Amino acid sequence: MTRGSTCNKYTVHFKPDNIDIVVDEGANLMETAVAAGVHINASCGGAGVCGTCNVLIKSGQVESTRTDKVSDKDYKKGIRQSCQSRVTSDLIVEIPAGARLEKAVLTREIGDITTQMQAALVSGWRFDPPVKKLYLELIAPTLEDNVSDISRLLRGIKQQYKLENISVSFEVLAKIAQIVRTDNWQVTATILLEDNSNSKIINIEPGDTRTRHYSFAFDTGTTAVRGQLLDLNRGRIMAHAIDYNRQISYGEDVISRIAWSQKTGGLKRLQQAVIATINDLIKELIDSAGIEIKDVSHIVVAANTVMVQLLLGIDPKYLRLSPYVPTISTAPLLKAKSIGINTGEHVHLYAVPSVASYVGGDIVSGILGAGVHQGEESTLYIDIGTNGEIVIGNSDLMLTASCSAGPTFEGGGIKHGMIATPGAIEGFEINPSNLEPVITTIDNAKAKGICGSGLINIAAALLKAGVITQNGKFNTDLPTKRIREGEDGYEYILVKAPHTQIGKDIVITEIDMDNLIRSKAAMYAGYKTLFKSIGSRCTDVERVIIAGTFGSNINIENAITIGLLPDLPRDRFIFIGNGSLLGARLISFSVDLLRDGERVAGMMTNLELSENADFMSNYMAALFLPHTNADEFPSVIIKKG
Amino acid sequence: MAFEVPKISYSGKIKEVILGKGDKAVTVGGETSYPLHLFEGGMPKLPRIAMEVYDMPPDDWPEAALAPFKGVTDNPVAWAKKCIDEYKAEMICLQLLSTDPNGLDRGADEAAEVVREVADAIDVPLIVWGTDNHEKDTEVLRKVCETCQDKRLVIGPVEEGDYKKIAAAALGYNHTVIASSPIDINLAKQLNILLGNLGVPDNQIIIDPTVSSIGYGIEYCYSVMERIRMAALTQQDEKLQLPIICNIARETWKTKEVKIPAAEEPKLGDTKKRGILMEAMSALILLLAGGDVVIMRHPEAIDLIRDMITELSAS
Repeated sequence: MTRGSTCNKYTVHFKPDNIDIVVDEGANLMETAVAAGVHINASCGGAGVCGTCNVLIKSGQVESTRTDKVSDKDYKKGIRQSCQSRVTSDLIVEIPAGARLEKAVLTREIGDITTQMQAALVSGWRFDPPVKKLYLELIAPTLEDNVSDISRLLRGIKQQYKLENISVSFEVLAKIAQIVRTDNWQVTATILLEDNSNSKIINIEPGDTRTRHYSFAFDTGTTAVRGQLLDLNRGRIMAHAIDYNRQISYGEDVISRIAWSQKTGGLKRLQQAVIATINDLIKELIDSAGIEIKDVSHIVVAANTVMVQLLLGIDPKYLRLSPYVPTISTAPLLKAKSIGINTGEHVHLYAVPSVASYVGGDIVSGILGAGVHQGEESTLYIDIGTNGEIVIGNSDLMLTASCSAGPTFEGGGIKHGMIATPGAIEGFEINPSNLEPVITTIDNAKAKGICGSGLINIAAALLKAGVITQNGKFNTDLPTKRIREGEDGYEYILVKAPHTQIGKDIVITEIDMDNLIRSKAAMYAGYKTLFKSIGSRCTDVERVIIAGTFGSNINIENAITIGLLPDLPRDRFIFIGNGSLLGARLISFSVDLLRDGERVAGMMTNLELSENADFMSNYMAALFLPHTNADEFPSVIIKKG
Repeated sequence: MAFEVPKISYSGKIKEVILGKGDKAVTVGGETSYPLHLFEGGMPKLPRIAMEVYDMPPDDWPEAALAPFKGVTDNPVAWAKKCIDEYKAEMICLQLLSTDPNGLDRGADEAAEVVREVADAIDVPLIVWGTDNHEKDTEVLRKVCETCQDKRLVIGPVEEGDYKKIAAAALGYNHTVIASSPIDINLAKQLNILLGNLGVPDNQIIIDPTVSSIGYGIEYCYSVMERIRMAALTQQDEKLQLPIICNIARETWKTKEVKIPAAEEPKLGDTKKRGILMEAMSALILLLAGGDVVIMRHPEAIDLIRDMITELSAS
């Protein structure tokens, strides 16, 4: 069959979103879903190897390359891998619960606003936003006082605000003549601080608009993008919004995104995907706060290096090739509109500077928010996301590293893994007498899978009860039917099919345990390697700051039991929530902190662990529960047998 | 001023493990210094040599290796007796080559019967070595443990993938286990912890770090064994304070450098001498790295090592 020159068009209807889209015959079904704004989970970025993007074809035909990711039973039901399917007729497609990324559920974290406000540990900064609004009452020109409009404006600023060395953007030049004469020479100028001594007038409005002065702070994560609308007069958060990064349909981790960016048009597509996400969030933020977009004057973005480069449309290819050098560490200020962000022409985007390929502005931002650079206390800062980033140090020195912990803690690589949304198993205890589980799920919904914090709790409880041995293998001699041999080897049944949302037994397998052990070993080996490189040890740490949404939900005791966190007195652990967003917000509020952020990025030394022999040795030693060297976990007691 | 030899002070001690039973039982371990560093500490039990016996006639050995055992290679009992009577073997290692699922695939019962016959016929300690196949070793070695109850065999390899069942049987029938891990200090330690959790006492465990011949990565084996000893003796790592066994002969005699006849490669010199030296040199390196027991094949290589041990340990 040839796809004729008369290209047929078909309508694809997606359920349960009930969105229609018209596409050409042969269009890839996953890309069709992305184009329609329907989120499909695609861990492998459409390579056809992960089986997470499976959809149900309710009516119509697709031409599909079949892989072993669809079982015979499912195939008969009409399940297809969307990335391997091409549209060949009108379709009704249902996205099953497992493949669907539900936005509503991400909002779980929005309740944390107050805790996040309290979490800023940084102190001693001035409220002095890098973008300011100046109100001016200028003297109208006369034949005697006939200097140009611009000179009159600058003269006014000098007289009223004692500010000099100010340049004027071309957009302001183009409209100043009209604006100053609109409201009797009363105007508001928006000034952006460009560097230590220079500022630029980026906008001019008639009358006094100072009360309407807002900005956005974004944490552009690999998985989710979180935004806040800020009031730059009062230093307050006015609205919160969160959504999955639409790039998720092109791969779950940064490496698969980089791989995707190397396809023809791939970079552009990824840039558009994240900008579309940001634009949706912007709309949601201004709608919920009831403000107008023209009153927003600034954007601060904190993100990992790959996300920054993709956002700015800079080829990230070399980030993943040794010696792992980024194109930029401090991106120049750029106009948000120029990359497609829906704001006024004058709004500039500031990206928090990054340190290295895998230590980005999100970490710099978190370090800033946590005030690590201010004190002498020896601090371990941990951000467990898709990658695990760690920083050790204090006001004198900072060392960072990125551990390829993998997506385990976000549910990746786990048979029934999922992100922390309703139905995710989070609480887990085991009855020592009959080895039956006691399970709680998020929002007490019917169980659907296991989230990262749940995984840690499960592993710790199984270990303490002797259900798994210290190498993460099931103790098959135990008198329980919960342990059985499944398709991936031995597994423990957490929830039986009738009590789940997915109609299948939810289990934890030995392969899941292996992945968890590898992930936690990478983190722990990272701390040890960093400390050793400065001649210190984990036990010398005076405080451990845990950032990240995932981090906020973990149980410290259980995380220590499996060896993910060092065995320190529990009162040394502090949670700060989303450190990246926290720092982005603080930078929006204070020029001092913006400068501090640049200083912090400059003082961090990145240790590349992938080429570090010591790390490999520490990693091997950490591939055990809690650790091969039991002396490092004196408080963890393991049941023998 | 007289010269003072710089000395390391040790804080740990290798545990003593008794192999076999009765008058001919062999005690290994007990070191309080690095191997043969007698000027620094003690090595109360000198390294020992076990001689190999196979449970089927080997079909890929060079002539030099076969010659000393002419006439007995089809009879493990006679072979073992020859080693003891003629070559003064202090221990025998019976390699259960016939059970290899990729070879003869002999069943567990039959293999265990051969082990029992050998065990009954000799009074020196008997080491029984499987085929490194988890499923088959589990089946065979469990049967061996049961059939030879209380013979105090040394059973291996016991690996992370099959330790539970084999070690349980060894424990139940009173044998010693060879804890075998793939050339890594952490994996070696982890297996010892797992065995300990299962209830195997330290004095019934001997470590097999996995070894290879000269020219096939012996430097790496050396380094791992050295690290194990450093952890045991200077860092009080209790789970590594155990003797080490090295199954080296089978590694050296299968190398190309040993097998290739002098006629084909005259530059390599006399075939027999080459094989013996390859085995002896490999064994010596492992003894210097911390080996307590080396499993050897050729009587002349064994003589060289015996002499070397005697000389290096002379006071």
